Amino acid sequence: MPEKIDFSKVSFLIVDSNPLSSQLVRDILSVLGATAVRSANSVERACAILRRDPVDIIITEYHLEPENGLVLIDWVRSSSESSDRMIPIIMLTANSEQDYVVNARDKGVTEFLAKPFNVEGLYRRLVAVIAKPRSFVNADEYFGPDRRRRQVPFGGTDRRGSDG
Amino acid sequence: MARRAQIIPPRSDLKRKAVNLTTGFDLRLTPELIKQLEDVVHKSRDGFTKDIGERLAAMRQLLAETGPEPEAQNVLVTSLYESSLAIKGAGGTIGYDLLTLIGKSLNDFVTGLKSLDDRQRPVVGLHIDALYVVLANRITGRGGVVEKAIVDAFVEARRKFRPDGSDGGSGDQQRDA
Repeated sequence: MPEKIDFSKVSFLIVDSNPLSSQLVRDILSVLGATAVRSANSVERACAILRRDPVDIIITEYHLEPENGLVLIDWVRSSSESSDRMIPIIMLTANSEQDYVVNARDKGVTEFLAKPFNVEGLYRRLVAVIAKPRSFVNADEYFGPDRRRRQVPFGGTDRRGSDG
Repeated sequence: MARRAQIIPPRSDLKRKAVNLTTGFDLRLTPELIKQLEDVVHKSRDGFTKDIGERLAAMRQLLAETGPEPEAQNVLVTSLYESSLAIKGAGGTIGYDLLTLIGKSLNDFVTGLKSLDDRQRPVVGLHIDALYVVLANRITGRGGVVEKAIVDAFVEARRKFRPDGSDGGSGDQQRDA
């Protein structure tokens, strides 16, 4: 029997300053059966919601004012006030050029989806963060999902395993 | 000295909570669910087209009325940036791919600018006119040969009229982070 996702068990926070865009994502989640969906139009409001009542998944725009979506990712991943540093974060944004993708990835975004988007793309990312969670990396200058997507076999000596 | 990176295994609490064998939706989208979700997007189309129309009217008015004062110019360019980004993001989502292409072109054109000079102003105006035409004629998809020629001409205009000679943004990334 194939696995299913019961979205009614998952809570969401949508962060987008464009009410139409935010409503569209909310409506899509509603069709999927999600009932616990909150919205914020700024990083400040998003952080206030997360402090009060954590969620399972954040879907955020990059372009927010006065602070952008990277500030939110940074807060979730690094702030002592963050209740869950490992919340999956999907960035859904029209800022889709390579620099933005790299910046978001390096701040610890879990999935990135460019606007304009299609429903299949969004669904795939929801499935990925719920059913196929990734390892996290805690390093000096990075805390976030493991950025290595591909597991490439390595035939050389394991120098890490033998260093002191 | 840099410490070694710690690998934290994937957390399974969300998966345990939501993934099961009886209720909900298959991990792979079914044609029925795609149809249901696309209907939601389709229903949002009127709202988005109204919003884009209002943004175009506001941009056109602002472009016509803004004087050379630096503060006013900054407001103009910020507004153009915001609206073109919104059009770029919304167009293709509701089937107007050409709105996205021209919206992206305008967004790339104004990205990083603080003001518009006398040569840049008409280029912005042409973008707004083109967006109007697409919306008014409900040209869905990417259009045909003429539309492609217009988009190519905007690329050339960006190269010619941006102070740094660049084309603003680079290619969109549809891949995973």
